[in-house]
Amino acid sequence: MIVTAQKPLDEILDSLSPYNSILIAGCDGCTQPPRGLREAKSMAQLLELGGRLRGKEFTFKVITLPKQCDSYLTAAPLQTQIKDVETVLSLACGLGVQTIAQVLPDIPVLPAQNTLFIGAEIREDSTLEERCAACGNCLLASTGGICPIARCAKSLLNGPCGGSQHGKCEIDPEKDCAWDLIIRRLGKLGKLSALEEIRPPRNFAEVVRPGRLTT
Amino acid sequence: MNALDKESTFAIKLNAESCSKCAACYSACPFEAISKEPETGKLLLDIEKCQVCAICYSSCPAKSITISYYDMNSLTRYLEKAKDEYGSDSLVVTCRGTNLDRSEVEQLFGISEFVPLSVPCVGRIPAEVLLEAVSRIGIKAVYILACDEDYCRFERGSATARLRVTAVDALLEQLGYGKDIIKLKQRSLKVRADRNKCISCGNCVFYCPYEAAKLEHGAATFDLELCRGCGLCVSLCPALALDLEHWEGDRISTMISDFSREKGRPNILVMRCQWAVFPEFDEELDSNVHVIDMPCAGRVDPLHIIDAFRQGIDGVLIVACNEDDCKSKKGSKEARRSTAALKKTLGQIGLGERLHFCTVAPRYPGSFREELHRFTDTIKSACTQEVRQ
Repeated sequence: MIVTAQKPLDEILDSLSPYNSILIAGCDGCTQPPRGLREAKSMAQLLELGGRLRGKEFTFKVITLPKQCDSYLTAAPLQTQIKDVETVLSLACGLGVQTIAQVLPDIPVLPAQNTLFIGAEIREDSTLEERCAACGNCLLASTGGICPIARCAKSLLNGPCGGSQHGKCEIDPEKDCAWDLIIRRLGKLGKLSALEEIRPPRNFAEVVRPGRLTT
Repeated sequence: MNALDKESTFAIKLNAESCSKCAACYSACPFEAISKEPETGKLLLDIEKCQVCAICYSSCPAKSITISYYDMNSLTRYLEKAKDEYGSDSLVVTCRGTNLDRSEVEQLFGISEFVPLSVPCVGRIPAEVLLEAVSRIGIKAVYILACDEDYCRFERGSATARLRVTAVDALLEQLGYGKDIIKLKQRSLKVRADRNKCISCGNCVFYCPYEAAKLEHGAATFDLELCRGCGLCVSLCPALALDLEHWEGDRISTMISDFSREKGRPNILVMRCQWAVFPEFDEELDSNVHVIDMPCAGRVDPLHIIDAFRQGIDGVLIVACNEDDCKSKKGSKEARRSTAALKKTLGQIGLGERLHFCTVAPRYPGSFREELHRFTDTIKSACTQEVRQ
């Protein structure tokens, strides 16, 4: 899932200030926390309220798209909604925003979110944690299914470092030390010897930015 | 406060002087709040475990339990008064958990004129009240709507009522008042899912405290046998694909719109769990305070709160049970979390203090009014500041 955090309402209201008629586009895809129809309606009401407090009356329409990052799924439903719309406020991640920019060349699109990371939901704690760094050279096979690139603060390939304390990371005691997790898990699986294998240096140039893949 | 003074603030008391130590209360209590001293047989109440269902009160043969809400005297006094007021000799008793509309009574019981009585659990009504209603007050027919027994928020309340009705009905017949004077029905209110709106996100599967939700064939499906109607999944569904019978989103929205048209200053909306606060018969709140009784704080939908502010409500007070008392496991906890998140967002446009979450319990009868009073003061001063600005 792509994890996003909502921008402060003031920042969104500032970005909307040149416009009156706005389409709010939710996304039912992988964005977490969910940014679907509920979020779109809630955003419309909050902005209407916030606008009124600033002495500004907006007109909102809301829509949600199955996967905002997919131009084929996004273009058609958007086209039916954009009559008289001056701007689209996207509740999706940066991919969704850019897809809308691509399928609506004549209408400005604004982001309502800051896109943070590829992460998973720890629902019991109501938190989302980064899990994958999209490094292009997956080593999960030898690290017990736990990624040190995304989950170690230093992205160490040989951990833990001296800052690992009681299974937690020195930069934030709320966060687990990824290498502590890796070693415990490999120990449990009886695969600790995997860490003794000599591996060639990682190729960090596997994905040349901007990434591109032909299928 | 010493122990005795403190006890006087409790909603329920066991009176040792008149207690016959029969321990009927001890066996009836669904929450193990009453214990028995092994040597003396004395019965002791642990108020922190008590949910004030009053099943003990209605079961006590020695009448040695005192209770704050819906006690025998106030019930009979109400019936005497209401019989004239409503000009009817039919009585309709409902558990508030069934959330029965006046308009539904005709469909359910085939009568249109009746004396209404809504109580938190019908298991709390002593047999004596039913007997008196018929024999002395002149009620000719009693219709009772209880919750389904596996849906009863007080575990045994509905079952207790069923057994009692059978006994009282038999007694009334023997006394010559006729057959089937008391008619009992049961129902429960559950989730409704719209497959066409479902996006298969699985939120309901995780949040349902009763494991009633499953993702099957690309959409959420609910085992209604397991659903207990807390409404938590409804308030959290990102796709707005769920609704709760009798606490439908539209129904609540209409109530909020009606309230917001009233020009009380400050105009306050209270969304309270119906198990956290038991209203008194004559509950009179200030005219600027509008209450919506919810099936659980978990059904409080952030969209309704924002909508209330949008429509001109000045302050919204969310009243939940303590987490330990929550009748639907996670409702209070999730309501606290989602209200805190919304409060933070509202703070970004200067409305943070207009929303407040609190927990109260019927075992302390004054606690709701205290919270409401404090909140009203906060909102009054916020409104005054706004006018100054």
